[in-house]
Amino acid sequence: MVAIRIDELTKQFEAFTALAKLSLEVEQEEFVTLLGPSGCGKTTLLKLISGFLDPTEGTIHINGKDVTRTPPEARDTALCFQSYALFPHLTVRENLEFGPRQKRISAHDRKARVDDVAEKLSLHAQMDKLPNQLSGGQQQRVSLGRALVMRPSVILFDEPLSNLDAKLRDQVRIEIRRIQKEYGLTAIYVTHDQNEALAMSDRVVVLNGGRVEQIDTPEALYHAPKTRFVADFIGDANVFSGTVQGEVQPGLWRVETAMGTYDVATSTPPKEKDVDLCWRPESAVLGDAGHTGKVINRAFQGHFTDLMIETKGVSYRVQSRATSAQEGDTVNISIPPEQLILLERTA
Amino acid sequence: MTMSKLNKVLMISLLVICTLWLVVPFTMAVLWSLVDPSQPWTADKLLPPAMSFYRWIDMWQNSSLKSALFTSYALAPSAAVLCLLLAAPTAFALGRFKFPGREVAKTLCLLPLVVPPFITSIFFSSVLFQLGFTGWRFGAILFAHAVLFLPYAIRILTVSFEQVRQEHIDAARDLGASHWARFRVAYLPALKPGIFAALLIVFIQSIEEFAIAFIVGSPSIVTIPTLLFSALGQDFVRPNAAVLSLILVVPNVILMLVLEWLLKSANPTLSSGKG
Repeated sequence: MVAIRIDELTKQFEAFTALAKLSLEVEQEEFVTLLGPSGCGKTTLLKLISGFLDPTEGTIHINGKDVTRTPPEARDTALCFQSYALFPHLTVRENLEFGPRQKRISAHDRKARVDDVAEKLSLHAQMDKLPNQLSGGQQQRVSLGRALVMRPSVILFDEPLSNLDAKLRDQVRIEIRRIQKEYGLTAIYVTHDQNEALAMSDRVVVLNGGRVEQIDTPEALYHAPKTRFVADFIGDANVFSGTVQGEVQPGLWRVETAMGTYDVATSTPPKEKDVDLCWRPESAVLGDAGHTGKVINRAFQGHFTDLMIETKGVSYRVQSRATSAQEGDTVNISIPPEQLILLERTA
Repeated sequence: MTMSKLNKVLMISLLVICTLWLVVPFTMAVLWSLVDPSQPWTADKLLPPAMSFYRWIDMWQNSSLKSALFTSYALAPSAAVLCLLLAAPTAFALGRFKFPGREVAKTLCLLPLVVPPFITSIFFSSVLFQLGFTGWRFGAILFAHAVLFLPYAIRILTVSFEQVRQEHIDAARDLGASHWARFRVAYLPALKPGIFAALLIVFIQSIEEFAIAFIVGSPSIVTIPTLLFSALGQDFVRPNAAVLSLILVVPNVILMLVLEWLLKSANPTLSSGKG
């Protein structure tokens, strides 16, 4: 069942279009991440879903109900703020109880809900403390708890990990995902960190300049990016412009690039002659076959070695697990046809 | 001379200056208020030759001190509250909204403080008379005080409104809070110190204000300053003036202490967030 349906949503700030005709459906209990660089419209979209902004055009339905013009206090969404936004003069318990109090939930139910959340987030020892007596991670958990006690249809996260240090970030990330599954929540999560998006999400919406670049599972985004932007933004990628020569075998297309000719295995034939060709640095095979290139930089990274290689004046990146190539060496590189990805040319 | 010796000398001079500045006038006022009318305190005597509470009892029984006290202490808190209510919308706009000319507007709000208070008082009084606004003299003074001391209240409350964090308002809203609940949980904690400070300043200004209270109020309304000025002015009796000024000072000091304590209880780190 669809939890959130967004149709042709547009938001303009005077002349600036923050979001252009965005459509998205989020399933019940799905974890969807909005990913993109700053200014891509991801926070605008979150604010539109939570009700803090009114769309210029388009509609939003939550559980089949049109909430496009419903104010945030009447929406069945709960937002976890980037800065936590805990009420500083209230204790942890009072912070957690604030929402249920507003909804006039009976004292008995309120206590049950708060105790349940405190249990799940191990906040019991902190209940009578003030927010400024807590660590960043604990504040983050209170903020999550305050959203959870609302038992919302949709829980929204606005870069919740950006104020935590790297080690804590992994821990809280796992915790957020666990809680989301335990409560069976539909979640929308905003981040600019691709690792976070890949690790947590059922599906990722990649946004760029107020438009959707691609909506897909993390695996599909990595292995089959559709545009040059997605290929670049998710992981490392080598992208070259090329021209399609023709189908050499069924499902195998020959593409001419500045570096040489490649055969690409693809089930969907290219629509146009001019394409972008993309491959991941780790899919190159260093060996006897393929193009020759000169190693211009070598960086040992532990479980792999990062090489910058130049062929016919074009430089690209290769990651290899076992190579003894040194700077200045000439190597042979081949890329398996199924590891090559054809991208749509975008204007 | 060593450093510590210099420090000591500086410390002692500071104490001496403070004593001269604060304690001597206060002691003089106390002594003058205790002079018994039977024997005058002439310049050749260090202490008054005869001391009694005669002046205190006399002033309490035979002057308009009681009604002046009542008027002043009814006027000042009312003016403070009214002033706060009048200042709140402007301060809200200046503190919460971004609009072109905001900084200019902020400065303009402070401008009335540059003009000598006596001048604004005289002109404001004449406005009140011209509008026929003087039927209820107490009300006219109250209104005048509330309006004239607006710059203080607006300035203080503007800063307080700027301290309110938008995400607290948004969080309260997201959790389903009504307007009133949002005000209580997001605005009030940040505004509290400013509200106390504004109330205190307007209260003290109103208690001490002479010009308007005199022009608009006399002769039917007597406040402590008008009584004091008349004791100092036409029938100048120094012991009576001493009694009056002491009465004027003591409650203010107590009030100051109470409000300081209240301000401390409104912990600023609690309103500013992470602390």
